[in-house]
Amino acid sequence: MSKRHRSMLGIVALGSALALTLAGCARGGEGTGATDDAAPASPGITDSSIALGITTPLSGPTAGPGTCTVAGITAYFGERNAEGGIEFGDGVTRTVDIEALDDAYDPQKAKANYDQLKDSVFAMTSGLGTPTNRAYLEAAIADEVPQVLVMTGDPIFSDTGESPSQLGFVPIYQNEGLAFGELLVASGDDHKVAILSQNDDFGEGYVEGFKEAVEGADNVEIVEELTYEATDTAVDGQLTELAASDADVFFNAMSITPLVISSLQKAQQLGWTPSWFLPSNTSSPAAILQPGGAEAFPGVYSVSFAKAPASPAFAEDEDVQTFLASLKEYADYQDMPAFPHCMWSYMVGATLEQAFMEMTEPTRESFMEALRSITDFQAPLMLEGTAVDTTTDGQPAVSSVVVQKYNGKGYDTVESFG
Amino acid sequence: MGTFIQLVVDGLSLGSVYAALALAIVLVNQATGLINFAQGGMAVLSAYIAWWFAGLGVPLILAILLSVVVSFLMGAVIERYVMRRFEQGDPDTAVVVTIGLLTLITGVCGWLWTYNNQQFPSLFPLDTVSVFGAAVSVRSIGTTVVIIAIMLLLQGLFLGTKLGLALRAVAVNPQSAAFSGLPVGRLLMVGWGLAACLGAVAGALIAPQLTLTPGMMDTALVYALAAVILGGMSSPIGVVLAAWIIGVLENLAAVYVPFIGYDLKVAVPFVLIFIVLIVRPQGLFGRRSVVRV
Repeated sequence: MSKRHRSMLGIVALGSALALTLAGCARGGEGTGATDDAAPASPGITDSSIALGITTPLSGPTAGPGTCTVAGITAYFGERNAEGGIEFGDGVTRTVDIEALDDAYDPQKAKANYDQLKDSVFAMTSGLGTPTNRAYLEAAIADEVPQVLVMTGDPIFSDTGESPSQLGFVPIYQNEGLAFGELLVASGDDHKVAILSQNDDFGEGYVEGFKEAVEGADNVEIVEELTYEATDTAVDGQLTELAASDADVFFNAMSITPLVISSLQKAQQLGWTPSWFLPSNTSSPAAILQPGGAEAFPGVYSVSFAKAPASPAFAEDEDVQTFLASLKEYADYQDMPAFPHCMWSYMVGATLEQAFMEMTEPTRESFMEALRSITDFQAPLMLEGTAVDTTTDGQPAVSSVVVQKYNGKGYDTVESFG
Repeated sequence: MGTFIQLVVDGLSLGSVYAALALAIVLVNQATGLINFAQGGMAVLSAYIAWWFAGLGVPLILAILLSVVVSFLMGAVIERYVMRRFEQGDPDTAVVVTIGLLTLITGVCGWLWTYNNQQFPSLFPLDTVSVFGAAVSVRSIGTTVVIIAIMLLLQGLFLGTKLGLALRAVAVNPQSAAFSGLPVGRLLMVGWGLAACLGAVAGALIAPQLTLTPGMMDTALVYALAAVILGGMSSPIGVVLAAWIIGVLENLAAVYVPFIGYDLKVAVPFVLIFIVLIVRPQGLFGRRSVVRV
């Protein structure tokens, strides 16, 4: 590098630092609105834009769904920004900026990302993962930074006592387990159930919900129940033991994609073909069921609240077409999404927009108040029978799910088992 | 009884997966005296290359063979342009460099092919055959047969050929080997190249089972290292047996030892290693190294 270049670079660096300092000083005074008695704006919001922070896995084993959690919301606000922005409840029209950082599903990185973002963003949102969201939960409460519509089924995020400035988006694990149990009990036929669950809050939540639903029912018997660790390379031993129980229903509360594929294959090799219940985040037709050969089983059931774009049933759906076009145009996501998280975070965008339109002041308090008063909102891509409702304490924004059955390509909503 | 046999068979099949990687680690160790932590990452990269060729329409077996050739070059290039700078210095530094390589290669795979799970086609069908009431998958049998063949080939290479002797000589004492007229640099390149080939085969065998992701080998590498230590660094047959023992014991302990269960079964191989290392520091099948003073 020549001497001249170096000094140029120095000047640019100095200039940038100065600009940043000035911006920092100016922030408190910005966006206060026309009247003097209005509350001062919170960090991350000005009269022209609002910044949202995301920390989510963009590398590592969960990067597939993690990338989706950024893509969906980027696509949604990309559309809105292209239309000129969103008119907020205070009468100001703003565009939405997304700042997403990679935490590789590592809680420490998630906390570091939060620390990096907390002063420049208005709220944290959409990030995937229970341990990662938990890692900065307490800091976000202390800093009064909203941590909302996050992708974890951990009930702690929806309990206002423990998490005053938090809100989960996806149904808590218990709700999904409950839906499976209720479906089975309602069938009236006798069923023997084998359960394999992940040895953490995720697996325990599912099993808890399921057991709550089948408690006292005389037609459902849990004949075998095993666990596995999320770090295991194989669950062949567990499958062998479960197959020996001759259960006709297998509830596989698993969050690791390769293990679900290998357990579908292993069960076939063992000649054990029960009906399956799979959690919503590991039941993707393209990424899991097809490679696992799921058509060999009498039925694979999952729960959902989002339309699956790959399903022939929604090929002509207007929501789905807009969504796919925006995903390509604004989020540079060219493939058909293999994970539901793309759809979920698109809905997060729509839900945030509802809150933005209702908040009367550019403050976090006003935002949280608006966010917590959304009832019966049918976000784009939501399945019939489900809705966003943020008003019930202890429940995330979406608590209603419908049970679906795999049809070889996508899912059909079903009312009964069998 | 059916369950017991099934658990043993499953354990052997899982053990074969660990064994494939363990053999590659032994090969580099025998040829260079190093433990190569990047071996898992290199195997993943090779598997991606095979997958990429297969995606272009190349028949699977040919795609794997092509990836084996590319991997040989990759191994040789890594030795020549990266590892050689550290071979004369502190061995600890070289080991740290291999850990750095692992991170780098994993990152490169993720950057090139994303972190999504990719479906790697299997060389063997998904069918099963019944052996004493246990369902044994053709894939497991195939994997095991390939591993046994490689193990015998390696044993033969090290003990029965001039190349093997030269590789071992270079590993034990590069300076003396050089004085005896051996082309040390070229031999080291060959050693790394061969290990990368082996990694490519391991990757192609393992990928259908674990589904292809950049981090696919991370856990398998831990078990492979356990097998290497348990079996003895100098014995290809030893590490394969050790990998099988680990796979089977882990499975059986989870089911038949009540306080272990599936929660503690990961600890089984490590407790085993602990005991073996106290009794036989050179591993179950390794040779004791003797230094004359």
